[in-house]
Amino acid sequence: MRYELFIALRHIKARKRQTILSVAAIGIAVMILMVSQAFMAGFTQELYDKTVNNLPHVVVSPQTGDDYIHLYKNIILRVNNIDGVIASSPHLTGEASFKFKDNTKNAVLKGIIPAQEDAVAHIKKDIVKGNFDELAYSDKSIVIGQKFADDMQLELGDRVEISFPNANPMSLKVIAIYDTGTALDESITYTSLQTAQDFYDTGDVINGISLRLADFNRDREIAQMIKNDGYNAAGWSDTNPEILRTIAIESVSNNITIGFILLIASFGVVSTLNMVVMAKIKEIGILLAMGARKSNIRLIFLIESGLLGLAGALLGTAAGVVLALSIGGYPLPQGVYGLTYIPVLVRTNDVIIIITIVFLLNLIAGIYPAQRAASLDPVEAISTR
Amino acid sequence: MQQSKSSPDIIKKKRRTSTAGSGKISKKAETSTYPIVQLQNVKRIYTLGENKIYALNGVSFAIKKGDFVTIMGSSGSGKSTLLNMIGCLDLPTSGKVKVNNVDLSKLDDDGLTEIRRNNIGFIFQQFNLIPTLTALENVEIPMIFNGESPVRRRKKALAMLKKADLPLEYADHKPNEMSGGQQQRVAIARALANNPPILLADEPTGNLDTRTGHNIMELLKELNAAGTTVIVVTHDPKLEEYAHTTIRIQDGEII
Repeated sequence: MRYELFIALRHIKARKRQTILSVAAIGIAVMILMVSQAFMAGFTQELYDKTVNNLPHVVVSPQTGDDYIHLYKNIILRVNNIDGVIASSPHLTGEASFKFKDNTKNAVLKGIIPAQEDAVAHIKKDIVKGNFDELAYSDKSIVIGQKFADDMQLELGDRVEISFPNANPMSLKVIAIYDTGTALDESITYTSLQTAQDFYDTGDVINGISLRLADFNRDREIAQMIKNDGYNAAGWSDTNPEILRTIAIESVSNNITIGFILLIASFGVVSTLNMVVMAKIKEIGILLAMGARKSNIRLIFLIESGLLGLAGALLGTAAGVVLALSIGGYPLPQGVYGLTYIPVLVRTNDVIIIITIVFLLNLIAGIYPAQRAASLDPVEAISTR
Repeated sequence: MQQSKSSPDIIKKKRRTSTAGSGKISKKAETSTYPIVQLQNVKRIYTLGENKIYALNGVSFAIKKGDFVTIMGSSGSGKSTLLNMIGCLDLPTSGKVKVNNVDLSKLDDDGLTEIRRNNIGFIFQQFNLIPTLTALENVEIPMIFNGESPVRRRKKALAMLKKADLPLEYADHKPNEMSGGQQQRVAIARALANNPPILLADEPTGNLDTRTGHNIMELLKELNAAGTTVIVVTHDPKLEEYAHTTIRIQDGEII
């Protein structure tokens, strides 16, 4: 192996231009791969951050046939004891009609205990105006989304009228405005649990408990545990299957594109190595005459293709990481999908996997030229000029 | 008949016979009766479309160990084909070639490679040094394939270069930094690297001026005197005077 490596290195060194070109070809493909992988990971992360992270990971709902969960404090105690549950928030949620001046709108009114809801859904970090905590002590108040506020021309401190069939109409003061950059901004409003219970005239009941988990991937498992206890419960991946679907579709199409790019780059290696074989026919003949086995010759060219692949993979990932991080640092103009930066995430795992795959792919790509070199007829090879 | 000596450095399942070259033949090796190269009714036929070309047409001869032989013939006479046969680079269409008493027809590629590696040192008209390697590294190549350790390789390569009369300051020069004569000396040193019992030279002076050519032939003569069988393939009648034996070939037949 050592002498084949030695000869392979000499070949690579002696043909600087070809070496640089073929390493660059692989490198560029790998760079694109790395950048797009970083985008993909960043996008996925962002999607999770924007959605799953703000969603309750598991929602406990009333038993089948019931509209409400009575005696909910007891249940909360029990779910809080489940390993993996880090926060819980009881809520009473319903529809309501909103009216301000001449503007009307229907939206969801969610009665919550502010501190607990924030622990589950991290609302506070999205508050752009006012004080979310005020909900806890200020009666008849409401927190709305920026989009909702714009549509209704509401400002902080305005009073919005709410009503609904079978509900007690009331007027609520806007005490805070949040902005998540998602569709939630238009459709969900928050008030205190007490206010919601007064509005819907239900007494001290709730119709859901939101849970936050240490690991959001355990949502189905924990939902199942709660179901086993006799309540209805569903994980976010069941209630929001479109999130997983979006990620799956994105990553499949991304992977297909990347696969083609890599395939093209590997063909580049095949053709480069074929050229090397052509240029080295005489030398191969000499080596055969000097006692090299066909397997020695094959190994020399396999090593060359592996080395070119490895160099391309290393340089490509390095360039890709730098490029991805610099693109990720570039601020977006306001209001593009609610993003301020292009989401980019470079994961060590991705880097290792990419380097390994590219290296192996190049080894495979090297088989044909290596085989060709090994099967040269020494007599003809030597007499080549 | 010489008995098999197993050479310690390489274990090879296909090994059929000795690597006589690994033990150096004593200086005054009286040319024994044991033929180191033997051809029996060798034919080599190339088919070109519908035409059959008889590059060798029933050639038989034997070369004794320690001999200095020139194989003379004009271009197209079949002498290069003959050289490839003896050099274990090509196999006959029919007939038998034995090198160091091994019948080549029974060997596969790796077997041929091994016989070649242990018995034959090649010297070419074009020198055929590897351009990207230094003189020393070129000489090391055959030893590399023979599995010699780097330290031993280097030491031996230097000794071979000395034997081939190359001034040592050229050891780290690339082929294109040396004259033709110097390159041919490197090539001879390389041919000697694994102590082969046979040196096979194809027009070794063809690319050299008369004086350098003479010096190279003198070197081959010295090596022959030290025991190595030297076979020179040439069309140059002047080389005959260095040889003990001359085999003439014309139209694929010995004349």
